[in-house]
Amino acid sequence: MKTKITLLLLVVTGVIATAQNQFEQGMSKALDLWKQGKSDEATALFERIAGAEKSQWLPNYYIALINTTEAFNPANKDKVTSLLSKANAALDIELAKTPNNVELLVVQAMAQTALLVTDPMTYGMTLAPKINGIYTKASILAPDNPRVVYCRAEFDMGGAQWTGADVKEICGRVAHSIDLFASFKPETPFSPTWGLDRAKETLQKCTK
Amino acid sequence: MKTSFIFLFMLCSLFVVGQQKITGSVVDEKGNPILGANVFIEGSYDGATTNEKGFFEFTSSEKGTKVLVISFLGYETLKHTFSMEHPAVGILKIKESVNTLDAVVINAGTFEAGDKAKVTVLKPLDIVTTAGSNANIVAALQTLPGTSTVGESGRLFVRGGESDETQTFVDGIRVAQPYGASAQNLPTRGRFSPFLFSGMSFSTGGYSAEYGEALSSVLLLNTIDEPAQESTQISLMTVGLGLANTQKWNKNALTINTAYLNLEPYQAMIPQRVKWYKPYQSLSGESVYRHQFEKGLFKLYAAFDAAQFDLSQDKINAPYLLRTDLHNSNFYLNSSYKVTLGTNWQFFTGMSYALSENKINLNDDFLHNTEHASHFKARLKKSFSERVKLTFGTDYFITKFDENYDVFQGSQWQEGYQATIGAVYAETDIFFSKKLALKSGIRGASNSYIHKNAFSPRLALAYKLAKESQISLAYGVFEQAPSQDYLKYSSDFENQKATHYILNYQYNFNKRTFRAELYYKNYSNLVKYDTPTVVYNAHFTNNGTGYAQGLDLFWRDNKTIKNLEYWVSYSYIDTKRDNINYPNKVTPSFAANHNLSIVTKYWIEDWKSQIGFSHTFNSGRPYNDYNQQTFMNGLTKPYNNLSFNWAYLISQQKIVYFSVTNVLGTKNVYGYEYANSPDANGYYNSTAITPTADRFLFLGFFWTISDNKKENQLNNL
Repeated sequence: MKTKITLLLLVVTGVIATAQNQFEQGMSKALDLWKQGKSDEATALFERIAGAEKSQWLPNYYIALINTTEAFNPANKDKVTSLLSKANAALDIELAKTPNNVELLVVQAMAQTALLVTDPMTYGMTLAPKINGIYTKASILAPDNPRVVYCRAEFDMGGAQWTGADVKEICGRVAHSIDLFASFKPETPFSPTWGLDRAKETLQKCTK
Repeated sequence: MKTSFIFLFMLCSLFVVGQQKITGSVVDEKGNPILGANVFIEGSYDGATTNEKGFFEFTSSEKGTKVLVISFLGYETLKHTFSMEHPAVGILKIKESVNTLDAVVINAGTFEAGDKAKVTVLKPLDIVTTAGSNANIVAALQTLPGTSTVGESGRLFVRGGESDETQTFVDGIRVAQPYGASAQNLPTRGRFSPFLFSGMSFSTGGYSAEYGEALSSVLLLNTIDEPAQESTQISLMTVGLGLANTQKWNKNALTINTAYLNLEPYQAMIPQRVKWYKPYQSLSGESVYRHQFEKGLFKLYAAFDAAQFDLSQDKINAPYLLRTDLHNSNFYLNSSYKVTLGTNWQFFTGMSYALSENKINLNDDFLHNTEHASHFKARLKKSFSERVKLTFGTDYFITKFDENYDVFQGSQWQEGYQATIGAVYAETDIFFSKKLALKSGIRGASNSYIHKNAFSPRLALAYKLAKESQISLAYGVFEQAPSQDYLKYSSDFENQKATHYILNYQYNFNKRTFRAELYYKNYSNLVKYDTPTVVYNAHFTNNGTGYAQGLDLFWRDNKTIKNLEYWVSYSYIDTKRDNINYPNKVTPSFAANHNLSIVTKYWIEDWKSQIGFSHTFNSGRPYNDYNQQTFMNGLTKPYNNLSFNWAYLISQQKIVYFSVTNVLGTKNVYGYEYANSPDANGYYNSTAITPTADRFLFLGFFWTISDNKKENQLNNL
């Protein structure tokens, strides 16, 4: 009898755990694939998770992040529009649900930046103010989010050679973002934590 | 041991029971296998990616009818419904997405500018940074092929057509009076501030059935949907002052732009060929309000300007100077609403109202005219898929014109008319593949004043030859009622008609664009009359005919030399027309056979400056030499104009801008005016029609103030 009850309990909890774990397993696997450089496969898996878990914003977030990152890769020059339309479609779905999610806003600004850098003389006039607008909104919503502070500084740095902006001041913000990274606590195990390494690299260039 | 064995078995069965293996393969339109496509059951974790043979295989415990999603970058996502009882789905074909940069574009006749264009010929900022354009949209467009510089007018003359053969639209709605007021042989400029627009499309022929009442060309301007941020711009210029402010709140945004222009300092500095009693002055204001709805956008654009000047010109046929004292006021209101409805329907509606009033003292005579013009428009667009779209819509135009002419101590004349035009159109856009696209449409219109109907078919095709090149063809019939100058005297007219045939080739590679366009345009039903000038009792007919044919070439290169952008436009045109009071078919005085423009912009990092030169060359233009037997047999000397500009960035938000036209001081002649009767020796005297001054000088300081201090004047370069 006792064994049977134990067995039943085990099976029941097993079923529940499986359902819960499916999301976590899927997410871990997809993130692993991305770490291994298999960005297409990672996107494919995130796409499946996003379709199954409509209440989770992270799968679409990673679809956007992966495709935006790929768009910056010079090897993908011919695919930029396809990659960015994929990224923006994923962002649009989640921003419609939570327009004030700063992590999504940061990726949205990056996606626009990826388009801008393909032809700054054409897109500079229209996109630069738009990107600034997104970062301004994100800074008001979450002034202490390290990715907001860092990505904005990185964008300003990119434009500094044209605008003659004060590089020292921008470097100050990069350094500040590194402090913020140290104290940043992600809400879930899969929430975004990236950026510290890049911030350190950028700061190194500053001190040169 | 036994227990744990049972447990393991049950746990396994949890996954194994009801498992089905789903198999199939994914291919492209040519049947080639696709590697790496994502195939999964919608709403589940079950799926796989295809292998190099396009094959996929995965297991699922789902039941019943399910949707299989096939997604692959650069392709349209396919949703395939299948039953879990038949899990072998076979071969699935996916189509390349046509929403990519390398898809074919229907572009015969059209130049696109702005962020939505795939191949940008002109960028929004080019309007302000082209030397000689002085922030005048029309002047910048005159550096493109297919246009000719008609210095004494300043308006757009496209491919052998007169200036009124071009219609201007803001956000899809007609602008009845796109140009500022001017006197005879004085150039005018476009009314619109280039900073309020995010994109434009300039068509020199073969345009969509959505646009009518234009024989030669349409200019489409789109106001900015959503301004990026709040800002204030202050302009201090040698010829006036400007102030602009943008505010954003909730889902609303408002931009207000005001300017006061006074040409007195310039007229005092540069010698003028006419006598100015009062300089050209204008006060203008423009505003754009936008409200974002969840699925729609409402825009309201309003513009007002009042202009005046007083001058006298030497006229060969008048015993004294001709004095023109002009007051013009112009109001334009344009509102539009665009909304997305349900399954891929888009609805657009808009209206415009324009009021233009001129009060002109011509010596002691007085001319007063008023025009009220409205346009109502509704359009529905249905996207059946990414590849097939259907558009249909309706236009309604109302024009009311009244004119009084009081001769000093003499008679009074009154003319006027009211015309309404109703039109309907339908058009389909079809992408057969990423390489072949077709647009075909039809437009019907009915004019209540002349009691005539018009029927205009349009067709355009584009085919991609290779990754960087494509050809495009366009054909269309275009109809337009005669201009106000004739309608005010008579309603006994036909619609004027033009048929366009265009062949376009485009090569676009790594920020270099080459375009060549051959065209033939046939005119019929043009207005003719039998008097020396247009008068009320002239005998009007629609027996006029004409043609224009030529070659337009364009080359733009932003890449080869670092920090240098340049473009070269060349047009060859052969055109003749027998209209107005011409005795036979001749090349009209506004057409020059050869037109060449070279525009350069160079950014000098160390000086924080952009320096630009533009050169425009036209071969001689015909004029009627009264001392020759043959009509229109004179030819002016060629026209040359080298312009220069310099923009210097003081800081991120402050800029100094200097420009000068006709640096070399070329003495240009646009044509000649002849005396009506010969002198004692039987010789007809003449005077040359020349610019009012050889040069235009401009110095300005522009300052942008925005909250985050990131927006900078470089955007205005």
